[in-house]
Amino acid sequence: MIMVENRELVVPGQQLAEGDYLVSDGVFREGKRIFSTVVGLVDIKGRRIRVIPLQGPYVPKEGDLVIGVIVDVHPLGWIVDINSPYLANLLVQDYLQRKVTPGRENLKRFLQVKDVVVLRVKRVDEKKQVLLEGGKPGLGKLKGGKLVEISPMKIPRVLGKKGSMLSVLQKSGRCRLLVANNGRIMIWGSDGDVARVTDALKKIEREAHTTGLTDRIKLMLEETKEVN
Amino acid sequence: MEKPEQLIVDGKRLDGRAPEELRPIKIVAGALGRADGSAYIEMGNNKVIAAVYGPREMHPRHEAQPDFAVLRCRYTMAPFSVEERKRPGPDRRSIEISKVIREALQPALFLELYPRAVIDVFIEVLQADAGTRTAGINAAAVALADAGIPMRDLVSAVAVGKVDNTIVIDLMKAEDQWGTTDMPVAMMPRKKAITLLQMDGHFTEEEFKRALDLAMRGCEQIYEAQRRALKEKYAVGGTE
Repeated sequence: MIMVENRELVVPGQQLAEGDYLVSDGVFREGKRIFSTVVGLVDIKGRRIRVIPLQGPYVPKEGDLVIGVIVDVHPLGWIVDINSPYLANLLVQDYLQRKVTPGRENLKRFLQVKDVVVLRVKRVDEKKQVLLEGGKPGLGKLKGGKLVEISPMKIPRVLGKKGSMLSVLQKSGRCRLLVANNGRIMIWGSDGDVARVTDALKKIEREAHTTGLTDRIKLMLEETKEVN
Repeated sequence: MEKPEQLIVDGKRLDGRAPEELRPIKIVAGALGRADGSAYIEMGNNKVIAAVYGPREMHPRHEAQPDFAVLRCRYTMAPFSVEERKRPGPDRRSIEISKVIREALQPALFLELYPRAVIDVFIEVLQADAGTRTAGINAAAVALADAGIPMRDLVSAVAVGKVDNTIVIDLMKAEDQWGTTDMPVAMMPRKKAITLLQMDGHFTEEEFKRALDLAMRGCEQIYEAQRRALKEKYAVGGTE
């Protein structure tokens, strides 16, 4: 028996259902009853119940695309800030994708502190120690552009259904965007366009839980298009 | 303020409340821009702000726990929060209150989801009128939920006590000062699981049961206000 509507806003401790359902993210089970653990929107698909959180930290998952900032270089690789409670480790061989003799390479030749890189999460263990990898198509050091940070929970909304929101941002915003799972977005374009898209992103972050957002963003970007 | 002759006249308290009536509550979720989660609460003349940061990397590193997140609480009173200027900074009283608040909030959190990390809760009392620790817990619970930290339930808290031989809820300054008993209670209302219970003064066994029952009913009301505050934060979107 389900006690809430699909897409309803719920708070921690609120009962969502009773009975034989599959629990997913954002919910927990006590006996036969199922409760929400976060403030978020209920998502019911068949027998699977989850709550999409509206706020929260980025917890790295294997296979995620992240934009990281190098914070330290050590003999075997780099320490990367990935906008999460946990710093991540990038080993030289995972970045160069070849065998490396420790101590033979000067790592600062490849990446230095403060460099911005797109990487993929290679492995996360139970202690949340994160290993990253690079050196594959689409991964690597980023040049130019503006880095914008929004709440990582709102990233699905920036992409939209089948990337609809992203294509609006790119087309009407006249910018190229790189959206990473950890809440960081890189924007390339003219200064005016970048500023417009940044405003649009902030609007998406504020209004992520409302409907008809893609159309409003499109309208907003089209309206400001001429001014710049 | 002089001690009044009677604290309860014709069944009404000094501020006109009935014995089982709470002070007016106002809660705003997300009151601060820079914190990961925050809340502002007014319970009568109490004004308290709570801010949550994290989960984030633990510093100093050696205090991190390998299998769960550490919860740190800091309760402080502003120098202007009380009649006589309070010396700023932690003192014996606020260190103890920080500890009991931490222990009151901890059972509600899924700390094992964030090993090695720390969650910081800051509770700042701007104006005090008895019952700041309970107001602080109420605000902190909303702030934790606002930060998106997974919780089993919110934590609601209220004080009960005995004034002029009457069991009353949510004591204000005069009642706290001249009443005979003050008992702050915090709980997770869904399961009626008590996470904080302190008592200053005396209750008979029968009085204690009645007082605890009254506190539970008070917590239910606060629980509703907390849930409403969290929902209100997101109800407004869509217009600009």
